Amino acid sequence: MSTSAGIVLAGGRSSRMGTPKAALEWHGSTLLRRTVGIISRVAGGPVVVVRARGQILPALPADVDFVDDPREGMGPVQGLAAGLAAIAARAEIAFVCSTDMPFLHPAFVRRVLRAADEGADVGLPIARGYPQPLAAAYRTTLAPVAERLVKEGRLRPAFLFDECMVTRLDEAALRADPVLAALDPDLDSVVNINEPADYAAARSRPAPEVTIQRFGALADAHRGPQAIRAATVAGAAAAAGLALGRHVIAALNGDQITRDGETPLATGDSVSFLSADAGG
Amino acid sequence: MAAAGYFGRALIADVGDGSATELPLPDELLRAYLGGAGLGAWLMHRLAPPGVDPLAPEAPLAFVFSPLVGTPLTTSAKFAVVAKSPLTGFLNDALASSHFAISGKLTGNDAIVVRGACATPSVLLVDGDGVRLIDAADLSGRPAAEAEQRLRERLGRGWRVAAIGPAGEQGVRYATISHDGRHAGRGGLGAVLGAKRLKAVAVRAATKVASADPQAVLAAARDLRARSFGPATAKYRELGTLANLLAFNAISTLPTRNFQAATFAGAPRLAAEDLSKLRSVTRNSCASCTIGCEHIYSARGGKQMRVEYENVFALGPMCGVSDPDAVLAASGRCDELGMDTISAGGTIAWAMECVDRGLIDAPWLRFGDAAALLRAVDEIGARQGLGELLAEGSRRAAEHVGGGSAAFAPQVKGMELPGYEPRTMQALALGLAVNARGADHNRSGAYEADLSGNHDRLEGGEPHVAAAIESEDRAAVMDSLILCKFLRGVFSEPFGEWAALLAAVTGWDTDGAELRQTARRIVLAKRVFNIREGWLPADDWLPERLLTESLQVASGRVATLTPERLRGMIDGYYAARGLDGQGRPAGRVLADLQLS
Repeated sequence: MSTSAGIVLAGGRSSRMGTPKAALEWHGSTLLRRTVGIISRVAGGPVVVVRARGQILPALPADVDFVDDPREGMGPVQGLAAGLAAIAARAEIAFVCSTDMPFLHPAFVRRVLRAADEGADVGLPIARGYPQPLAAAYRTTLAPVAERLVKEGRLRPAFLFDECMVTRLDEAALRADPVLAALDPDLDSVVNINEPADYAAARSRPAPEVTIQRFGALADAHRGPQAIRAATVAGAAAAAGLALGRHVIAALNGDQITRDGETPLATGDSVSFLSADAGG
Repeated sequence: MAAAGYFGRALIADVGDGSATELPLPDELLRAYLGGAGLGAWLMHRLAPPGVDPLAPEAPLAFVFSPLVGTPLTTSAKFAVVAKSPLTGFLNDALASSHFAISGKLTGNDAIVVRGACATPSVLLVDGDGVRLIDAADLSGRPAAEAEQRLRERLGRGWRVAAIGPAGEQGVRYATISHDGRHAGRGGLGAVLGAKRLKAVAVRAATKVASADPQAVLAAARDLRARSFGPATAKYRELGTLANLLAFNAISTLPTRNFQAATFAGAPRLAAEDLSKLRSVTRNSCASCTIGCEHIYSARGGKQMRVEYENVFALGPMCGVSDPDAVLAASGRCDELGMDTISAGGTIAWAMECVDRGLIDAPWLRFGDAAALLRAVDEIGARQGLGELLAEGSRRAAEHVGGGSAAFAPQVKGMELPGYEPRTMQALALGLAVNARGADHNRSGAYEADLSGNHDRLEGGEPHVAAAIESEDRAAVMDSLILCKFLRGVFSEPFGEWAALLAAVTGWDTDGAELRQTARRIVLAKRVFNIREGWLPADDWLPERLLTESLQVASGRVATLTPERLRGMIDGYYAARGLDGQGRPAGRVLADLQLS
């Protein structure tokens, strides 16, 4: 299996939004933090944020890498070239997306990465009526190709696709993945927000439905799983009447342990709250 | 004149001829090794003949106290029993809390060392009048608690008793020494006492011990007491350690059916969350403890017993048994026999798998069979039937049975693994592999790091090495001062805070940096003892099963601990500890140990 990475292109001007999209509030966190967190759950390798020089970004986990886009305003292929070059030595494939996809689901990322893992240079979803080059998987060996295209002024992703092997994933192909079909049936993963109205509409949607369970001394009278809505682990903790911290930890889907309340949640997640001290 | 908090001497009782001698313990030495497990390691270097058979008369066994014993500091009434383990063949220290610690220290000794062997079953008495032996023929075959009660009735008020059960008399290699219902549980030190034909050691206080700054100690005691009621200890207070069971099941760290799985479908039947409602009778505290982690449950037939996570894990999921009555009964029977439940459960689980694979002809012993579990426990305690083999522990039993069964014997250095799955807790995996005692969660509690959220618990690497070392160092100091590990969560700057406690008691100007150095010294002294006793680099390793079979966690991720990854972490550990590539210390590291 290929080593996979994540690349988030955060350097756009957000001109239609009127405020930096990366820093938009999202259920107590930010859009960029959410995007990075969702990709981190799937990518086994590094996650890198491509930013404009001097761009101020919201707080992110310490293991996130940053790369400055050397040529601002050149579009996504330029960001793609910078991001792929930054991780080429550490990963074979990468999921690449923009920062403005609040409903991106790990199951979508996993399905798209699989196309590249199976041999394609690009795994390109075609969803909600459009190709989605900024929610796609790329082989990192494409870095020099993307760089050359930028130098040639050929800035549209389609030029890149002309020079490599692309597996196109239409909606039927995406929904053939039973996990993705169950957790993101409308392929909301590719919904992006560009204007204040988009943001307002997205923000007004209910948070993802997740399952929480409290264990041990944290359970009190609430034993067993409970369905709630929460977009972050902190939100889930609050719904459980808990606060993450030195003595309370969360396990996401029985896997990683976290005290980071901004860890994003997606539909279908389960969160276990445990006492931090596991002495026996 | 010894530093405050100490007497500056160890009493060495030879139970073969009834004599006693005194070993001076200079301040410099006490400051270097503190007490408890640390001082015990130094005593074994000094007093155990190289290569000695742990069950031979000349093998010493030490009850080691600490500077904090006798102070009002919560959880400080603890002591270490230290000897060469008959289970591992390496250094072993087993800690317990009880009034025995206070009375034992107030005999006027920082340690009581027993060597030799009695001609007939006896009890060793130690008080202000010195040592003497009394006959114990009437106590033979009795559970430790019963022997303790009878002795206290016979000897009168003021005597505190540490005794062995039938398993210790039978030489079960994981027999315990118990007192006040608590056990110095791991490593078979009950068998060492049994080999000396000592049913018990009884102590009576004869003196007092002063602190250098009583007001400071009192203030610290008040502060610690208040903190011990806070959220850091809530788990222990409210449900006890059994609270781990369901939580561990949710995160795939509950060893099941001899480490063939990390989740157990029957876990909810054994969970503290429900059992405590149905069966909880009361809570209890060790001597001088304000946490009160002991949860006493009622079992079928009206018996009452302490229930701990490790007991339930080892005799429940590990053996595939989900019947709470059977698990509680097996746990209670281990208490009566005086056997370490972790090693008992681990060895029985290994045997169950051997039966499955046709390597042992005992068709009655199957995973999930509650009656078989109880029968196996009884046979081990009596060394009868299959028990003769299983009383040896899983490593020796696997060597005897062969057929590749060593690959799934759940042990490191001969000690059975505790209830934490190393493949899904990879900092702990390193800690279990390299620790001098063997596979034990109390000497290397690196599971704390795995549950910290600071690193990926399924992908061991450099951060896990640092975390395992930090955990091992903290344990070395806590086990030597001695403070209960359940208190660890209340310390924000542990080494500095522990140094302040030590300074108030002793008057030394100890600081956190010095205690960190002390921790390293104690950890390495244990390693050096093991090297002297034949340790080889291959002993710092995990069972083959854990390195060749993967586990899937609930998220779908696969947890794999490859030999290469473990090797990398071990190499990192050796380098960080100043050891050579073979895990051996040299030069300046050795000189600091003050062993010559």
